[in-house]
Formats: sequence, structure tokens, C-alpha cells
Amino acid sequence: MENTLNRIDKIHDSALFTAADFDRAESERIGVSNYSYWRSTFRTFFKSKLVIVLVGLMAAILLMSFLYPVISKVDPTKVSTRSRNWNLRPSWDHLFGTDTLGRDIFARAWYGCRNSFLLAFCIALSDVGIGMIAGAIWGYNRKLDPIMIELYNVMTNIPSTVYLVLLAYIMNTSYLTLFISMASRGWIVEARFFRNRILSIRDAEYNIASRCLGTPMLRIATRNIIPQIISLIIMEAALCIPYSIGSEVFLGFVGVGMPVDAITLGNMVNQGRASFTLHPYQMLLPTAVLCLITVAFYIIGNRFADASDPRNHL
Amino acid sequence: MNEHKGPLLLSAKDIVVRFNLRGQELTAIRGASLNVYQGETVAIVGESGSGKSVFTKTFIGMLDQNGRVEAGQLLFHGEDMVRYDSEAQWLKVRGKKIAMVFQDPMTSLNPVRVVGEQIAEVIMWHFQKSHEEARQETIDLLRRVGIDEPERRYRQYPGEFSGGMRQRVVIAAAIACRPEILICDEPTTALDVTVQAQVLNLIKELQREMGMSVVFITHDLGVVANVADWVAVMYAGKIIEYGEAEEVFHQAQHPYTQALLRSLPQLGVKGQDLYAIQGTPPSLFKEIQGDAFAPRNPDAMKIDFLEEPPAFPVSPTHWAKTWLLSPEAEEYRLGLKRRDEQRKAAQSPAPPFDYAQAEPLLSVRNLSVHFKLGSSRVKAVDGVSFDIYRGETLSLVGESGSGKTTIGRAIMSIYSGNVEGEISFKGQKINQKLSKKDRGRLHMEMQMIFQDPMASLNDRAKVDYIISEGLYNYRLFENEQDRIAKVEKMLEEVGLTSDFMTRFPHEFSGGQRQRIGIARSLIMNPDFVVADEPISALDVSIRAQVINLLNRMKKERELTYLFIAHDLSAVRFISDRIAVIYRGRLVELAACEELFARPLHPYTKALLSAAPYPDPALEKNKTILTYHPSREEDNKNRQWIEAYPFHFVYATEQEIEAYRDESK
Repeated sequence: MENTLNRIDKIHDSALFTAADFDRAESERIGVSNYSYWRSTFRTFFKSKLVIVLVGLMAAILLMSFLYPVISKVDPTKVSTRSRNWNLRPSWDHLFGTDTLGRDIFARAWYGCRNSFLLAFCIALSDVGIGMIAGAIWGYNRKLDPIMIELYNVMTNIPSTVYLVLLAYIMNTSYLTLFISMASRGWIVEARFFRNRILSIRDAEYNIASRCLGTPMLRIATRNIIPQIISLIIMEAALCIPYSIGSEVFLGFVGVGMPVDAITLGNMVNQGRASFTLHPYQMLLPTAVLCLITVAFYIIGNRFADASDPRNHL
Repeated sequence: MNEHKGPLLLSAKDIVVRFNLRGQELTAIRGASLNVYQGETVAIVGESGSGKSVFTKTFIGMLDQNGRVEAGQLLFHGEDMVRYDSEAQWLKVRGKKIAMVFQDPMTSLNPVRVVGEQIAEVIMWHFQKSHEEARQETIDLLRRVGIDEPERRYRQYPGEFSGGMRQRVVIAAAIACRPEILICDEPTTALDVTVQAQVLNLIKELQREMGMSVVFITHDLGVVANVADWVAVMYAGKIIEYGEAEEVFHQAQHPYTQALLRSLPQLGVKGQDLYAIQGTPPSLFKEIQGDAFAPRNPDAMKIDFLEEPPAFPVSPTHWAKTWLLSPEAEEYRLGLKRRDEQRKAAQSPAPPFDYAQAEPLLSVRNLSVHFKLGSSRVKAVDGVSFDIYRGETLSLVGESGSGKTTIGRAIMSIYSGNVEGEISFKGQKINQKLSKKDRGRLHMEMQMIFQDPMASLNDRAKVDYIISEGLYNYRLFENEQDRIAKVEKMLEEVGLTSDFMTRFPHEFSGGQRQRIGIARSLIMNPDFVVADEPISALDVSIRAQVINLLNRMKKERELTYLFIAHDLSAVRFISDRIAVIYRGRLVELAACEELFARPLHPYTKALLSAAPYPDPALEKNKTILTYHPSREEDNKNRQWIEAYPFHFVYATEQEIEAYRDESK
């Protein structure tokens, strides 16, 4: 009641019906948008519980695979001469058991993860890196179209397995061979992807504005183009990793992968296969790790692609 | 009391709509009320973000997923539609009794189905008719909305229709069920002025024929004057003024309505500043106290910041929510009125540009630009020649696709290889390979301002970098402090404060972004600026700010403008000369007032007649001329002829005679 009276008093106070001060800065104050691209992308990305779990799990696996070799004293190559140490079932001493030579599979799994990850990272880096540069040059030079499209068709129409086997067969098996055989092909797919994206933003008004200001090509690329497609770069790199790990396993499987003494997930699966009927855990456990990593990266990459699309920002 | 033609149909009372936007609550509609009477047109005017679209979407239950009606009533045929909780209830109303036409016809048409079937489907669904009956009815409808050869067009896809024709199809689909209310949400904003005039006429005719009520949403006061019986002005989610169109246009009471009307370039005095509304619309994320418009109103009273004004009646048919109408404010109001009259009397137009002593700054001779579209070659610009004199503003006016933007970009050397003819700036040919030094000099002397403030700023760079981009390119600063000082000074010149420097463009409104774009160009200290539709994507309340800024910069920095626009009425205020372009060719070029007083080419006349003018009395009785180029298309004898001193027309000798006779 008192409140209402106060209000009525205020309304009839003629002093209030006089000019108020005008504050220019206040009139410019807005809140038309609280939108920020990265904040919205991550908000949308982490909305799903599955993504949170998977990202946490992958972070833990990554951290562990690089930390384990440092903190653990278990030697993954240590062969036991005593047969009672061979083919041990999983136990507290050997979480994943031991293989036919008595090597600790748990330790080998971490070393394998580390090596496979390193290989996959290198391949992702080169595929996306070379692909992006080639894609940018391709996108800006329409004259390259006929050549590049032919090259793309030829390279993608040869089944990748045939190509990988052939290359790995010609050269001696090593990390470098594996890298070259996978990286020599992956970039063109990425190049085409980035070319399409760059074509669509090349003639955006802000890029034309930069051209009117005489901004050199290199700065247009680093300041205008790359920041616009950085989320795509991240996504492509994330999707490259499971593909590379998968290819490595496949090459190991057909027998042209890494030398037998190298510890990679591919070799472990391959070696476990030999004794699968008697000791299935020797193959199943590394395969489970492998599946977990590939599936998780695929899901993370795809979810990130969805989240980075502004149309999904609600 | 009741001045309306028919009975009350729909009554929206104190509607409150909230959205959940990225974790924040946004109150889009803060208690808006509107009555729709049978057979009348009520226009809702407001800028983007005022909530006019959202408000009408509640009438058909089509709010976006994250929005909800929190309070209020929607009475339609005795039912409160706010209480509808199932889609089935809405389906009885939506499309059948209340239909909607959207701005972009493609959002309501399926691109992979023939248009006829899409309309026939509506008829079959709502009236349980056989396919053959529905087909026949559809063809009648298509004919009714002005589509030639409806039998053939029935089988075409939306992609085969032009923008105006597509909107006609959407209108046909909307009226197929003979709705009682037709809601038109900016149906003509994306269309060219001449097409807009035709579509507006069509809507008015259909309304008269079918006795529909029309709710018309628009930001263009000229369109309002054309269609509306009643006008509701919306600001920050509230209707702040309501009345008969004549009353609102001639006796506007709310400061916002008054400011909107006063800031129209059509009503400005040439050479003087336009009346401009300051600032930007308020944030709807926060609670608004008092009159929402007060922070932008230099003449606001103290009470405006404290208490929300109630609706004060002006006449039985007109009310406004402003404290100015309160008896206590009488004295203050009269004071404002006196000051306003003095201000009006003091304004006199500037003398026209003196061409006798002008020297050309930029010359364009026989400019042609072609593009490759698949295997065919399209000539976007065809043999265009003109001069721009130092210190003038030349406006290039034409419809979408006429090649006006292409000319601007060709002058800025954006294209390579597909440009023929000669462009020379300060006597030097510039559409050829130039030394790095010459090209750099041109980048400093010629600059461009863009149409869409959303697309023309790089979203991932800070304002600081955006404005300094040109400075970095040519090292136009001595050290970091010097650069920052320059950017701050430029920001201040365009009316923004220096603490905006560290922010990203997405934090700004359209008008502010456009000013940042202007700052980016002008920091290079150019002599010549191509302004590519710099105001057409802006809100009405912001346009005057930007026009004033461009004019002030022209005076202070002695700039020369090539101003590209699609609407003749808006350029009258700013241009010295106007060139009209049609399908890649200039058809008429004359001094501004000369062109308006004595248009010669039939296309110019059509453009002039179609441009909406913000006065209901004039707008409702005007005749619209149409231009049919086909009847003279193949005439090869046309030349660029000086029909009157400094007034050029593209025509044959015979046509010139005819034009001269007509204009007498």
C-alpha cells in the first residue's frame, strides 16, 4: 500500500517532467548478441554426456600412453625363458596377462598405444597440413581445377588397400615407410575438402574488403581464412587419427606392416591372432583398446563437426 | 468509440514471450496487445529485434522451439489460443483461418516439388476435395494472383520462378483456404521496388475481394503508408503507439515514432544533417525500466527512466505510451514543439553542385564485365561510360541483377580478366597491370564500403585489427602508440568509443558494425569511395546515423562518392547526380533534382512511381507505371544522347522526341 502511494507521489512530482541528461555512451550500449563462436561451439559440444565421457577417456589414455613408459619399470620387450611365465591369464601382476614369450601385454598395450598414436599424429599432421595448403592454392587458382580433379580421381579410385600394400611391399618395413605410404595419399582428400570450403568463403564481403585494402595474400590466409576454418581443421585431424591407426593395423594384418620387434597396436593384434584359439585374451584385449580409441575419435570428430556448425548453436 | 469497419476477429492481450537463448533468458515480447478487426489492415512497424515477427508468430502457434508464451490471452472465435496444448488444435487454425506469408518465399516452398501440387495439396487437405478439383482450383488461384499461363506454370518448380512470382505463388497458397486473417511478414523486403509495388497491390486487391483482415509486418514506413488502415509501432517488445495510419503519420506522439518519421531521408533537407536517432536498440536480456526508448532519446524526461508510461489517448482512435502526453508534461511538450519549429525554419537546402568548374576524378569508358556461367557467357555490365567529378556524389541506381555492384567492384579492381573498356583515376588507366607502388597508392586513394555489415567484417578478428588492417598493409604508422592513436581517433569520428577496440564484431549491432566498416575504409584517407548500398541492410532507426556520417565525412575529408543503391527515394537526399542502370546498361543520367522533376526514360519513371513514399494520402492514390522492355528490346539504334543540358538518356532519336514531348 505504501509502495503504491509512493509511486503515485512520484508520478505527480512535476520535477520529474523535466529534461534528463543524455548519455551518448549509454545509448550505444547493447546486448543484441551474446554470441561467441568458440564459446557456443564448446557449449554445444559438451552438452552431450557421451562426449564428456569419451573426451575424458581419450585424454586419460593419451596421457597414460605417454606417461606409462616413463613411470613404469616393466620392460615390454623382456622375454621370459621360463614357460610358467608364458601365456598367463590376466591377473593383478599382469593386468592383461602375458603373451607366448612371457611379455607383459598391459605394458605392451601402452607402448603400442604410444607408438600408434605418434604415427597417427604424424599422418594427421601431414594430411591436414599439406591438404590445407594444397587446398588453398587449388581454391584460389581455378586453372588448377582440371589437373587436380584428375589427380584426385586417379588417386581415390585406386583402392587404398592395394595402394598401401604395394607401397609397403616395395620399401622396407619401418615407421617411415608406413608414414610415407599413408601420407602420400591422404592429403588429396583433405585438399579437395578444404578447396570446397575456401571457395565458399573466398568471395565473402570481408575478404573483398581485405583485397580493397591491399592486404597481401599471406595475411588474408592467416587472418581471414584459417580462423574461419580452424574448427574444420581440428575435426579433420581428429578423424584422421582413427583412420591411420586402422590402416596400420590392417597392414600389420596382411603382413606388410611394422617389423615384428616394433610394438604397435597392429603388431599386437597380429601376434595375438596366432594363439587366438588357445589364449583369446591375447588378441581380444589389444583389439578392445584399438576399438575404443577408433570409435571414440570418430564420435568426437563427428560431434565436433556438428558443434562447430553455427546452425546448431542454440 | 468503435471506428472499425467490421467486428473484432482476433484479440491479443498482454502477450509475454520469452526465449531461452544460449543459457540466457530473453524477453522478446513484454506485454503486447493488438486487436485485429475484420476487413482491415493493421501494420506493425518496428526495427529488427523489436519482436514484431515473434509477436505475430504466436497467433499461429509457430514460435521457435526455445520460445514460449508466458502470459497473456489470444482470443479468436471465443477461444483462448494460448491454452492450446496440442498440434491438432493449432492445425484447425493455422493455414485455414490464419495464414502467413514470409519474407523469403523459398522457406515456404519445397524446391523439389512442382508448385501447383504444393497448393493443390493444401486444398485437398483442408477441404477433402479430389485431386482434379483441387488442380482446377489451384489453376484459378494462380491466375488470380497474376501468374500468366497458369496451366503451364502449375507444373514448374519454384526454382523456375522469379522472386516476385515466387512470392505470388506463396500468396496463392496462403489464400487457398480463404483465411480470415492473412499475416504478411515483410513479404516484399527481398523484392525490387517495382515488383514490391505490384505485390502490395495484389495483397490489397485480394483483401478487398475476400474481406480478409491483413496483419502487415514491415520496417518500411513507405510500405506502411501504402497498405495500412491502422498502424501499430513496436519497440523493444511492446506496442508503443497505435492509431489510424493518417494520425500516426501526421500526429505521431511517441518520441520513437516521431524520430522514425523525422529521420527518413525522403523528408530531409539536402545539405543539412538528417534527424538521426542515437545509439542502438536496447538489450532484451536485461529488465527494462521505464520507457525503453529513453536512453536513446536526447529529450527524455527524468520520469521516462523511472516509470513505464501507460497508454494515453490522443483521439478515440489513437493512443501512445509516452509521458509526454501526461498533463504534467504539457509545458515540456510545448517547449519541444517550439524548438522543433525553430529548427525546421532554420534549415535551408544547400546549393546544387557546381558542374561548370568540376574536374573529373574517375572516368569509365565502355566498361563491360562478363561472367562465365557454366558454358555460357553472361554480360553483367554492357558498355557503360560515365565520369565522376571531384567532390560530387554520383548515385548508381538499379534493381538487383542490373550490374550496379559489378561496376563498383570493377572500379575497385576486384575482377581480373573479365573486364573490358577503360577505367581511369586521376588520368591514369587503372584496369591494367600496375606497378606495386601504383597499386598501393590506389588502395590508399580508393576505398569501398560494403552493403551487409554482418558479412563485411571478419568475425574472428578484433575491431582493433579490422580497422588497422590497411595501416598494417602500408605501414602507415610510426609505432604501436601511433597506430592505436589513429584507430582511436577514427573510432571517435564514427561515433564509437575506444573501448570497443578489444572486442569482436559479433558484440555489435548492425549500425555499429557498419560504422566500423566505414572506419576501416576511411582510415586510409581515400579521395574516392565506392559505397555499395551502405544503408539498405540497416534498420530504419540506424540509417540516418550512417547517412549523416557519410555526408559529414564527405565534407570534412573532401571525398567523392560513387553511391550504389536500389531505391531512388533514399538517394535523393545524398546525391548530386543520379545514374539509372537497367540490365547492365545506363539508361538515364542527370542531376538529382532534374531527374526527379523531369524523368525521361520509361524505366526511370517506373522506378520513381514504384518507390514507396511515407505519406498515406499520396501513397494510397498513386498510379504505378510499369516498364516493358520487350517492346523495344531489339532496337539497335539507341545512343547515349544529351536530351537536355547535362541530362543524358539512352534512346533512339525518335524516342528522344517522344520523351521530350511527354515531359512537357
